[in-house]
Amino acid sequence: MIRPEEIKMSTEETGKWGMVIDQDICTGCQACVAACAMENNITFVGEEDAGYGRSMHWIRIERFWEGEYPEVKMTPQQPMLCQQCGHATCEPVCPAFATVHSQAEQLNLQVYNRCVGTRYCANNCPYQVRAFNWRDYQRPEPLPNQFNPDVTVRRMGVMEKCTFCIQRIHKAQDKAKSEGREVMDGEFTTACAQACPANAIVFGRVDNPESLVSQLSHKGHGVKHLEELGTLPNVTYFKGG
Amino acid sequence: MSDNKHHADAAQSHEEHLREKHLMLDPLPRGRMNEMVMESMMEKPTWKFWLVFGFLAFVVVYFLFYQWGVLIVKGQGEAGVMRPDYWGIFLVNTVFWIGISHAGTFISAILRVFKAEFRRPFTRAAELMTTFGLVQAGFSIFMHMGRVWVFYWLLPYPNQRMLWPNLHSPLTWDLLAITTYLLSSTMYLFLPLIPDVAMARDRSTGWRKNIYKVLALGFRGTEGEWTHLRAAMNIFAFAISPVMFSVHTIVSWDFAAATRPGWSSTIFGPYFIVGALHSGMGAAVVVLAVIRGTMKHMDYFVRGEHFDAIGKLMLIISMAWAYFFFNDYMVQWYGGDKWTQQLLHFHEAGPLGWMWFAMLFTNIVLPWAILWNPKWRANPWLVGFVGIAINVGMWFERYIIIPISVTINRMPFTWRMYTPGIEVPMGIGTVALFILLYMAASKLIPLIPVWEVQEGQMAHELKKFGRETVVSVSELE
Amino acid sequence: MSEQFSRRDFLKLAGLGAATTAILTGCGPASRYVKREPYQQMPEYNSVGQSTYYATTCRECAAGCGLVVRTYQGRAIKTEGNASHPLNLGKTCARGQATLQGLYNPDRVTDPNKTGSAMEWDAAIQVVADALKKYKPDEIAFLMGMAPDHLFDLVTDMANATGMNAPIRFGALGMFEARATLSKAAETLFGQAGLPFFDVGGAQVVLSFGANFLETWLSPIPYTRGFTGLREAKTKLRGKFVQFEARMSATGGKADEWVPLRPGTEALVALAIGQIAAEIRGGAMPKAFSSVDLLDVASKSGVKLEALEHLGELVATTNGVLAIPGGPALGQSNGLAVAEAVLALNAFAENIGKPGGVYLSALAPNQTEANRPASAKEMQEFVEKMASGAFKVLFVHGVNPVFELPKSIDFKSAMGSVEQVISFATFPDETSAEADYIFPDHHGLESWGYQRVATGTAQPVLSGAQPVVSPFYNTRATADVLIAAAQLAGGKFAEALPYKDEVEFLQTKVSSLMSESDGSFTAPDAFTFMAYFQQYGGWWKNTDARLSSGTSGILNANISAEEAQFAGEGEFFFVPFVSPTLAEAGANKPWLQELPDPTTTVMWNTWVEINPETAHELGLHNDDMVKVISEVGEVQAYVYLYPAIRPDTIAMPFGQGHTAYGRYAENRGANPANLLGGHFNEAGDLAFAGMRVKIEKISSAVSGVGLSRMESRMGVYGEALGEEH
Repeated sequence: MIRPEEIKMSTEETGKWGMVIDQDICTGCQACVAACAMENNITFVGEEDAGYGRSMHWIRIERFWEGEYPEVKMTPQQPMLCQQCGHATCEPVCPAFATVHSQAEQLNLQVYNRCVGTRYCANNCPYQVRAFNWRDYQRPEPLPNQFNPDVTVRRMGVMEKCTFCIQRIHKAQDKAKSEGREVMDGEFTTACAQACPANAIVFGRVDNPESLVSQLSHKGHGVKHLEELGTLPNVTYFKGG
Repeated sequence: MSDNKHHADAAQSHEEHLREKHLMLDPLPRGRMNEMVMESMMEKPTWKFWLVFGFLAFVVVYFLFYQWGVLIVKGQGEAGVMRPDYWGIFLVNTVFWIGISHAGTFISAILRVFKAEFRRPFTRAAELMTTFGLVQAGFSIFMHMGRVWVFYWLLPYPNQRMLWPNLHSPLTWDLLAITTYLLSSTMYLFLPLIPDVAMARDRSTGWRKNIYKVLALGFRGTEGEWTHLRAAMNIFAFAISPVMFSVHTIVSWDFAAATRPGWSSTIFGPYFIVGALHSGMGAAVVVLAVIRGTMKHMDYFVRGEHFDAIGKLMLIISMAWAYFFFNDYMVQWYGGDKWTQQLLHFHEAGPLGWMWFAMLFTNIVLPWAILWNPKWRANPWLVGFVGIAINVGMWFERYIIIPISVTINRMPFTWRMYTPGIEVPMGIGTVALFILLYMAASKLIPLIPVWEVQEGQMAHELKKFGRETVVSVSELE
Repeated sequence: MSEQFSRRDFLKLAGLGAATTAILTGCGPASRYVKREPYQQMPEYNSVGQSTYYATTCRECAAGCGLVVRTYQGRAIKTEGNASHPLNLGKTCARGQATLQGLYNPDRVTDPNKTGSAMEWDAAIQVVADALKKYKPDEIAFLMGMAPDHLFDLVTDMANATGMNAPIRFGALGMFEARATLSKAAETLFGQAGLPFFDVGGAQVVLSFGANFLETWLSPIPYTRGFTGLREAKTKLRGKFVQFEARMSATGGKADEWVPLRPGTEALVALAIGQIAAEIRGGAMPKAFSSVDLLDVASKSGVKLEALEHLGELVATTNGVLAIPGGPALGQSNGLAVAEAVLALNAFAENIGKPGGVYLSALAPNQTEANRPASAKEMQEFVEKMASGAFKVLFVHGVNPVFELPKSIDFKSAMGSVEQVISFATFPDETSAEADYIFPDHHGLESWGYQRVATGTAQPVLSGAQPVVSPFYNTRATADVLIAAAQLAGGKFAEALPYKDEVEFLQTKVSSLMSESDGSFTAPDAFTFMAYFQQYGGWWKNTDARLSSGTSGILNANISAEEAQFAGEGEFFFVPFVSPTLAEAGANKPWLQELPDPTTTVMWNTWVEINPETAHELGLHNDDMVKVISEVGEVQAYVYLYPAIRPDTIAMPFGQGHTAYGRYAENRGANPANLLGGHFNEAGDLAFAGMRVKIEKISSAVSGVGLSRMESRMGVYGEALGEEH
């Protein structure tokens, strides 16, 4: 549970892990989406459900149109994923404490086996980045061989969302700890950032002013989505050139 | 002489007219009235009754319980919910049924507190609506849950992880409020039932007698018992009123406390309460019309004056609802948030804009047009029709607030229209269950609080002052 | 960031070195695989162990990116880019990520079989041996996938020694890239054939004529990296990108200026821009540019004169102009002229062989001359030979010509004229369904091998592949099958392939690199060399070996300023394009199906892109089912009102429309190859974008039926919001 004084704290700090996404170089190639699905055991839902807004993507690439032919332009692709808000709107509304704030990592956690499926968190997420398991989607044998043992396989009726690849964070931290050092900037990264052929996604510690991600996020023309709601998002976007 | 006779006749007919019009002035011997209530309850069900009963039972079993099983096994994908419409008709129905349940408390508690005499014959019918409506609301909210089999995780029960429900969540408040409301309204249903059950106990045999014996808790009608019972009912009448107000306010907070355009409105609390009373009174009047039309002796107990009185209430509530609707709309529109403005435009001009207009028609135009007229107001079927129309309109209102409003959010890339699936048969199932419970109740417990009617009749009397006949009411309690 | 990351990988890989060496010394083929503990049968009390990482090569397309596959108890669970691989530097595309869904695909060919009935491998090898023995060498043909890999070398060796027909490589990607045209144009520029390499990252202004280099074109990862360099230039201004194409591709969507020229006028526009630029710059007008009339170009192409002048000025006044020809611009009757005209712009910009300019891709190690996949024309000749009965036995590996070839080239019925068709397909695709035998090869992640990197990097790269899991099914490496069959067949065949197994063949080939200088690693002996080869995921030279001496003769060449010819009748130009997410062989991977197309966000289906204005005139709406009719065939698909396509053009993605190929691909969408006629350009590439088609409405959209889109039609197009439309 977040107490008022903690909320104040998180207003002062900007979080721990963060991401910078450069929309100018994102080509919309979907490599991040595929990488995320492969890393996090995300299920596919099939044509009908996917077309009805039930796809399980933890990251989606949004694009809009500007103008009319022939002056038409595709707006810069906007990869939209959980912004790991410092003051998340999804957290207080869950009656079962299934979506909680990690004090250690400053991330929004989703506790799958605590989730009862009221879907209030998803309703209240202004970014609409939460995915609900509407059914027990079939993954015929031997597809389950692919499951990443570090990531829980979710079943029907629970909410899920981007975790900033917390399993990778933990692995890197364990490794650093066993070697008696701090996790280095760039030592590991999320699946989406690792795959991104354009290097449009940079991940790291935003509370470390030396890190690449904080240097980029302070470059000036970065935008945080729906910041006006007071959500303290930890993903910074660069809109264009 | 002839002039006097004429006056006497006129006085006589005026008196008769008053008796005919007002139940309170038209007393029957106690034994006769008790008999009438017993007869209406014990009347052997006709084949029509069984036909309807059987049909509804089938609907309940197939549409509600079987489909619920399907929903549990196959998942919420069977319903029409998706991103961004994570909430659909199940929650529409939840709000709708909680709204309906409000009329019961309003009639039996608030009107009791304010000593509105016309309430007397139908407090029980209204209270039953509260309890049965809440059952449907509870069912609807559990249908909505993705993993209903772990619903108890929402309850504050001691567990080894020392994990309690999140008291920050409006849903937790909701659960607590609805549970409190269900328990207190059930008790409040039961207290005034005791003397009537005792009466039924004394007039029945066989299994009925055994049941009534248990339910009557040995009530004999002594002065001491009456004193205690009155005290308890009074306490409950006062205590349950704030519960009623809080429940729908809290339900409104599910929406108002969220950060969605169209939802985060500070006026939602009273707006929802008035909406609940609007649909609740509408439902009450339908129930009364049906009871009056189908059960024996009911035309004695339920008269035009009651429809007239409720009709006036409905008219006032409709005006209040219109005020709150306008207020909510105005404040949201004036706020200037682009998403909210988009949403308001979508309400009226989107694919389901007809629903928005229909809502305004049935909730405002229709009641105002019909209920102004005292003659029409006294017509059970006409007022019943308005009641049904208001309920349709109020259901539309909740549909507009939930699945239509969540279509529009701050991420236009995700906007999508909601198409209901299994919610429709299951929603019909809850309606059927509501009616079914009512039908069963009409055969099992006295629907008319006969002691309350008798009490009222004792307090009322026609007095003559010279040539004038006036109604006099004495304070009993 | 990438520095540290690569070190991490390096540490992981280095840890493997010793183990791999141990495995390699003195073990037979069966024990050369790691032991796999199936997930479902994990021993009790098993503690979560450490993952092992293996470097290998991605086989999802012919680019040859290096992968590092994370395995856990013998199961491959994640593919990542190999950070030290010069081609992709640790990056992967969506198809590379989804390669595991091929490995674990529920619809693989599990056993060698004769039209469905399983057989033993011994019998299968006997069948191959008999075929080799029974027929004359020139009656044996080999059709392979696009990748220049070890199997291609093995079969080439076999062909060279026995007089068998040289193996032919083909792939739909190569067809839609018009590789033959590019290669031929490069010959004009550099004096030798090969794939040109465009240094997008070093350029300041990129003019792309139809090249979809951010999607599937040649080698998308290095080109995407180049695009990042263009945009994020450290030492110069943000580079500008102009795309010329009739239908906005995912690549065109990233352009600062998108020029929707009339299909067939790409050469004219390129020459006109050159002419304007040359005029601005002064001096003699290059002969190549002199043949066009600007007003004529403007009216034919639909590009306004001012726009041409603005572009010409850009070319004349900016340093670092790079022009790229590709995609549909080349797949037209005048494709070669387009390529030459565009390359002439580069010659004018004097960027040949300079940073930010055009190079000729380096030859891979072990390679003496550029060797491109067959063009569609060559495939047509091949299929004609098949139909004529010249081939008695046909081996097919790594390609699905029944699906990929245009309808006008009827591979399927030609197969009937071949006595024996033996397929080595991993998946039950359309071609293997028609074959007499299927002797399934391993999946790429279960296989040994190497692959030459044809283009995309400055260094010559031989990318190494090794099994990261032991085979799931009763499959066998095709090289092993061929070696065993050759031994059985005896004679010249046995002499050509004197190896114990595939691995020995690889060792022989790879260890020949030991003597090369300037390699990425050295080793004292062949076994260690091979171990390092596996560990690093290949061997590459450290130096830039791109050919950089071009001739500027192209400026004085006669470049035809004719418009392209269009075949067929109909009011629409037709642009088929390769689905950026599915490409030619991704349709059987469910997660690739569920990736939204980058431009339309459609999942799991095929669509027809139509300009909304045109659709309005024709009374067509989103999700209406239409029939697209060309001179050779017709296909059906849903309408997608696409705002960024010329009103006189319609487009369809290639990649769906399978009639076989597993549950996720089968009977889904439509295949635009069924519309393509047999028209070729001068280089022999298919004029796939040189068709005119008609459309006919079949049925109106039904609510709830239609294309599955990620995007919201309400939010993106304002549908149903109560706005004007």
